[in-house]
Amino acid sequence: MSAIITAGVDIGSGCVKTVLFEIDGDKTRWLGKELSRIRSRDPFLLADEIYDAMLSKAGVSRGDVAYVASTGDAENLRFATGHFYSMTTHGRGAVYLNPDARAVLDIGALNGRAIRIDGGGKVLTYKMTSQCASGSGQFLENIARYLGIAHDEIGMLSQKADNPERVSSICAVLAETDVINMVSRGISAANILKGIHLSMAVRLAKLLKSIGATDGVVQMTGGLALDTGLVAALNEALVKEKVALVAESHPDSIYAGAVGGALWGAFRHQKLSRLEAVAA
Amino acid sequence: MRCFIGIDLGSTTTKAVVMDENQTVLGRGITNSRSNYDTAAAVSKQEALVDTRLTLFRRSLEAVPGTADVAEAVLADLERNFRHIQFVEQLEDLERTCIGNVKGPRFAGREKPVIEALAETFRRLREHSATQFAPGFRRKSDFFRDLAGGDFMHNGEAVCREAGLAFDLILNIYDKSIIKVENRPPAGDIEGKFVRALEMESLDQSLIAAPVKSALSIPLEETYVVGTGYGRVRLPFPKEHIRSEILCHGLGAHIMYPGTRTVLDIGGQDTKGIQVDPAGIVENFQMNDRCAAGCGRYLGYIADEMNMGLQELGPLAMQSTKQVRINSTCTVFAGAELRDRLALGEKREDILAGLHRAIILRAMSILSRAGGVKDQFTFTGGVAKNEAAVRELRKLIKENYGDVQININPDSIYTGALGGAAFAVRAVLN
Repeated sequence: MSAIITAGVDIGSGCVKTVLFEIDGDKTRWLGKELSRIRSRDPFLLADEIYDAMLSKAGVSRGDVAYVASTGDAENLRFATGHFYSMTTHGRGAVYLNPDARAVLDIGALNGRAIRIDGGGKVLTYKMTSQCASGSGQFLENIARYLGIAHDEIGMLSQKADNPERVSSICAVLAETDVINMVSRGISAANILKGIHLSMAVRLAKLLKSIGATDGVVQMTGGLALDTGLVAALNEALVKEKVALVAESHPDSIYAGAVGGALWGAFRHQKLSRLEAVAA
Repeated sequence: MRCFIGIDLGSTTTKAVVMDENQTVLGRGITNSRSNYDTAAAVSKQEALVDTRLTLFRRSLEAVPGTADVAEAVLADLERNFRHIQFVEQLEDLERTCIGNVKGPRFAGREKPVIEALAETFRRLREHSATQFAPGFRRKSDFFRDLAGGDFMHNGEAVCREAGLAFDLILNIYDKSIIKVENRPPAGDIEGKFVRALEMESLDQSLIAAPVKSALSIPLEETYVVGTGYGRVRLPFPKEHIRSEILCHGLGAHIMYPGTRTVLDIGGQDTKGIQVDPAGIVENFQMNDRCAAGCGRYLGYIADEMNMGLQELGPLAMQSTKQVRINSTCTVFAGAELRDRLALGEKREDILAGLHRAIILRAMSILSRAGGVKDQFTFTGGVAKNEAAVRELRKLIKENYGDVQININPDSIYTGALGGAAFAVRAVLN
């Protein structure tokens, strides 16, 4: 079995992610990654653009890629070989990033999902957040923008809180008004963000409980995995809820779905090749 | 002259109405609400006083023979010049603030190119500002934040692309700065700005300088101010100057239409169904729970999502030819559904019409909980300015309650402030 090159393309509601892998049996080499925020552009055109950028950096041409896996909202991607559901790709990507992961918490711009997996990244059970955007990435981002805080400052600020302000409001859109009120009452940005992180964390902890994740490592994936403030708040909430889970993140967590796609893509490609060999 | 002022501090916009002692409206002002309520109240009040000055100019011009047929055009010119002067003044403040915010580790070693990009962006903004205030130009919004913001995104992105800088850097400075700028108390010297507006080229000095200057010399005395609305408890007013917004909306609707029995008010973040008696006193009311679906913020969110001004949504939805049903209740999900449907090739106007129907359906359920619709029915709040929402409402009222007289006033966004001003008159004269 010689080495093959596979790619994963993950379109979310906020970001497009692509990754490139070289896979030789059970040896993997990560060749490239690229991401771009959608910002109301056409995500498929964007995927095309960053996919090509990634290939040219890695010195690989489109023809060299044996399997392009699409995941997330990328189902209709023209140059994809096949599609994988988000649960399976996030499960697989989480285990790749952290072999100890036995649960995954994927929080994106709109949806959150909790997934329980085995040691090989196979999905055992999962659950999504409801059809309401309270506590989504989009919600947090709106608030940060209102506070004039850059994306990558949120986590650090939240961890400086000395007296977190609990958010009572549930609605993502009206919570912004609550934040305006808090600012006018003189509450610091750090305490506002931490309060929001905590209220999100309590709900996420309940979501994890509901899928029967009771101990071990829960790997954060998706865009909000980069928010160190949320990860810290989640660990506080897990201790409070007396769940023996530890939430961990990884600098490449945002690529988890695309990574899982590229790895499952290699697996599917090899299966197909064997079938073809048998048929021949 | 004695002025009685009502200020309605809403979640999204803050409105002010100036009345004389005969309850005649002299001026209306509106601004976007911000985290500093004192500033929001002060800006809306100043806007209403600017509008009051324009009323006084109109009266003073009408007294001059030979100006009758040009008065409106002259006033429109004068107001546009005034707004332009005001806008450029705030733009300069924003530029200074932005440049002052280029500091800290994020910009280490990159200060110079970032400052240059900002200066170039603002140079283009100033250049473009004249077209924003040209005769006949339809501005996307009347608020500095929206006008400057839209232009800043558009020009800033282009400047950064040319300079090879990440736009995010500059966007973050803008976000930080706009909050500071809009929370500063409004710059004063209204009279001075009017004099400068008068001296701009487009106006015929010989005819109008004297009447305008005589109207400018009338002192406006703030006799009594009443505050109401979502942010009323945080206004810097003594307790006796605060009234509940339900009372103000009931009275405001009654002043506009004395036959009113049922009021529907769709504001930024709450939707209220109110029943009033023949004197405009509230008998019963119902409100929505805290969820943006079914209030004005829902449309605001959709407008942002589509990169449109809030005022542009209704007219576009009016062009719809096909019913589209929106499945999401949550505002944010409706925004995502909108994106998906656009990607599937559905028409913008058809999706928008569906979104407008969704918001009115929620309002109808609140009305039925408040005891239904009695004749006459008055629709108030910001959403009453939206023709597509009004069209859906008329349809649904007819289906559910038969032929009821429906009152909709173009100034209905000011209903709460109007009731507040009426309470201010009563506080002094009774």
